[in-house]
Amino acid sequence: MTAAALFQSILASLPEIVVVTGACILLILGQLVRKGQQHFLVWASVAVVLIAAVGTLMLAGEVRTAYSGMFIADRFAVFFKVVFYLVTVLTFLLSRKYAEIEGIGSSEYYVLLLLALSGMMIMASATDLLSIYVGLELMVLCTYVLTGFLRQQQRSNEAALKYVILGGVSTGIFLYGVSLIYGLAGTTQLDGMAAAVTGDPLDPGLLLAVVFIVAGLVFKVGAVPFHMWVPDVYEGAPTTITAFMSVGPKAAGFAVILRVFLNPLVAASNVWIIVAVIAAVTMALGSFVALVQDNFKRLLAYSSIAHAGFAMFGVAAGGADGVASVMLYLLIYAFMNLGIFAIVIMMRNGDFSGEVIEHYAGFAKSHRGLALLMLLYLFSLAGIPPTAGFFAKFYVLVALVERGFVMLAVIAVLLSAVAAYFYIRIVMVIYMREPEGAFDPALTPAVGATLAFTAAGTIGIGLFPAWFLRLAQHAAIGG
Amino acid sequence: MAIPLLSLIVFTPAVGAAALMFIRNDDVVRWMALGVTVLDFALCIAMLGGFDTSTHEMQFTETRPWVPALGITYALGIDGISAPFVFLTALLGWICVLASWVAIDRKVKEFMVSLLAMQALMLGVFCALDLFLFYVFWEAMLIPMYVIIGVWGGDGRVYAAFKFFLYTLAGSLMFLIGVIVLYFHGGETFDIRTLMAQDLPFQVQSWLFFAFLIAFAVKVPMVPVHTWLPDAHVQAPTAGSIILAAVLLKMGAYGFLRFSLPMLPEATVHYSTLMLVLSAVAIVYGGLLALAQDDLKKLVAYSSISHMGLVTLGIFTLNLRGLEGGILQMFNHGVTTGALFLSVGLIYERTHTRSIADYGGLMKAAPVYTAFLALFTLSSMALPGTSSFVGELLVLSAAFAANLAVGAAAVLGALLGAAYLLGMYRKVALGPASIGMRFKIRDVNAREIAAILPLAVFVLWIGLYPKPFLEIIDASVKHLLAQVHGKGGAQ
Repeated sequence: MTAAALFQSILASLPEIVVVTGACILLILGQLVRKGQQHFLVWASVAVVLIAAVGTLMLAGEVRTAYSGMFIADRFAVFFKVVFYLVTVLTFLLSRKYAEIEGIGSSEYYVLLLLALSGMMIMASATDLLSIYVGLELMVLCTYVLTGFLRQQQRSNEAALKYVILGGVSTGIFLYGVSLIYGLAGTTQLDGMAAAVTGDPLDPGLLLAVVFIVAGLVFKVGAVPFHMWVPDVYEGAPTTITAFMSVGPKAAGFAVILRVFLNPLVAASNVWIIVAVIAAVTMALGSFVALVQDNFKRLLAYSSIAHAGFAMFGVAAGGADGVASVMLYLLIYAFMNLGIFAIVIMMRNGDFSGEVIEHYAGFAKSHRGLALLMLLYLFSLAGIPPTAGFFAKFYVLVALVERGFVMLAVIAVLLSAVAAYFYIRIVMVIYMREPEGAFDPALTPAVGATLAFTAAGTIGIGLFPAWFLRLAQHAAIGG
Repeated sequence: MAIPLLSLIVFTPAVGAAALMFIRNDDVVRWMALGVTVLDFALCIAMLGGFDTSTHEMQFTETRPWVPALGITYALGIDGISAPFVFLTALLGWICVLASWVAIDRKVKEFMVSLLAMQALMLGVFCALDLFLFYVFWEAMLIPMYVIIGVWGGDGRVYAAFKFFLYTLAGSLMFLIGVIVLYFHGGETFDIRTLMAQDLPFQVQSWLFFAFLIAFAVKVPMVPVHTWLPDAHVQAPTAGSIILAAVLLKMGAYGFLRFSLPMLPEATVHYSTLMLVLSAVAIVYGGLLALAQDDLKKLVAYSSISHMGLVTLGIFTLNLRGLEGGILQMFNHGVTTGALFLSVGLIYERTHTRSIADYGGLMKAAPVYTAFLALFTLSSMALPGTSSFVGELLVLSAAFAANLAVGAAAVLGALLGAAYLLGMYRKVALGPASIGMRFKIRDVNAREIAAILPLAVFVLWIGLYPKPFLEIIDASVKHLLAQVHGKGGAQ
């Protein structure tokens, strides 16, 4: 590698380098911070992410490939990285008070989040199965630890252990697929793999490899049949981490899925049929099982499964609009899901766990503004206009119908009608019941800022989707 | 640049709703809500003043790009078919505020905000000239209506609100798919005027017809997807019932008129017999159910199903008299049934019972109120001289021209209507004062008269001199018929 090429590579991956370096510095600085000074960590972490964000946007002008074709900084990656930054910053803002209440505010918490961020960024930029693997592992290893951060709680430990074991198996499956690809095609680069497609019918070995890779990736976004970890992990993890995992790593998983699935090799194996089936089953399972949940976090876990299913429909549609629809969906989902999680996180105060839906009865009576925000997020998650959630779903449906998959679109909307039920049931609880006790949400300025920002996104993208749509369409690959 | 009158009409209540959120005093909230709705009504009068009845073209049109990448525009405009309903919605806006003046005594601010939001969205539905925009308004209505029924409703409000929400949502989601399919078949545009000019293959038209039918049939509501209506009506507060009966139900029929007929003419002609039969079933079945009710609101609710059956019957006769009668009947039903729900609401505020068996001899206790009730009851059964007579006569004559059996069913429905409405009036107003009614009932006060009088005026005005109303819709209906028969083939 020449010096010029090395410089190019470093330039392309500068944001990742910033985040990793920042995490390392914070790890050291964290040991020096005295008790009661933890807010310094929050702001330092936010600063690191913002510097990386500035770097990403400044370098977004041109496409840079790096590290001998294992890494690319294109607009697709930029779009996802912006989503990741958004998610991470909002998670930091939400964590400050929550971490204090739960007693988990050590520097490792923030460092691990930053490292998970860098893993997600690598995933979005990876163009080689091995660099995908590196990013993936970096991300999930951090989330394993973060899941178990509530060390005193059995639930949290159990969730972390489950996550590690199941996650390890899925990574193994993925790696096995990669090794098969390498054996048959002689390369692990996504571009190089395309050359292995010589004609119909596809080599059964390659087909097997594709199935393994699909299985490994589908695990990460929590789609059926690899969804079993989601409810337990989401319930057991600290709520801030649940909020983070439900949008960040999921979006990263979809970034990889889009890159891999739009590869000619995978496209040639008629994988869309598998994806369509996975999408329908995932959405059905998420929607129906969520109907009977009493725990808010579990409900949101199943809701996130259902949303993963809906986004999968966009993957099944494929094409430029299909890819753009998934990207837009994930961006919008980040806003509305972090919004509703912000409320749940905020409610964790004193004796109030904020996890049982029934405990929110009559919330609207004492906290009109917060209840109205909840109503906004929930109707957005249900996909009712004029919220952004509607436009996200609408665009996926447009992509489906454009490709002639009208039946898939019908299945998708019918299942989203089912899903609407459990969202509006929460609205019912907060608006139409009498309160049983007083509420004392931990509404700090940071949480307030998060709420304002997510609400602005949820209603703003819903009313003026044009700009965001163009952004997603410009960043979409595979058109 | 001309004043965007329709945008003003649509967004005045929305802005009012936003402003109300910052006011704490309940009385100020009430007066402000009234002010906003009256202002909106005044704008609407101004709009009708400038309305040209000689053309079928869309008027007061506004077009702005909204999501250019998908061909979505913000386009508003009205013609003779939508103008009456814009007017009706604006009229009922302030009547609903007056009707909720004392009936709503808790969370007044939230209620008025929901009411105003609802009004903005309903006006948007009738003004939208872009299918996407239409759908956004159409579906967004679910949110305030769900809240209105669920928070301020009766004892079974939660169940009723859920049922209303899920029925309508499931229906309109199929409509959404239909809209997207139409978008790709119609040249990637959501513009309603462009889509009307498309000539789609019959196969596509058929599919779309049924996709649209599901959404509109739920809203109308047609048998067998009507079961949400009695629950929603009974549980909703008075203003909610008025909105439901007077405006929301019209949207289903309006959907047929605006989309199914002009965009899918061949399918409309092909399936018109099916629609006539469904309408006839609704007329008779709704009437029979109304006959068996003891609950005043339920009775009016089931009568709505019967009367809306008459509307869809008129529409799908696909001739001039039927269509004009159907549209006029939509307007009349809005006024009359709105007034009946208002009347029921007024008496319920005093006695807290809706059971017909509890009433009797109301005429002695509240003569003015009973006189109004008599007028609306007679109008609802289409007595000559009241508004419904004109519409019903037109529809009946068209029905006989289209199909003898369907016409006979419609007449049977009218007879049933006379039976249950007169029966209700006899039990409530005449006879000796019943045991439960011994306590003194106050007659209507000035505020209540202000709410109910305009509706009475319209009942008599249209009944005695329907010409101005028919003139408004005439050109557009003729154009609509030309669209249906021009492309769908003459019957």
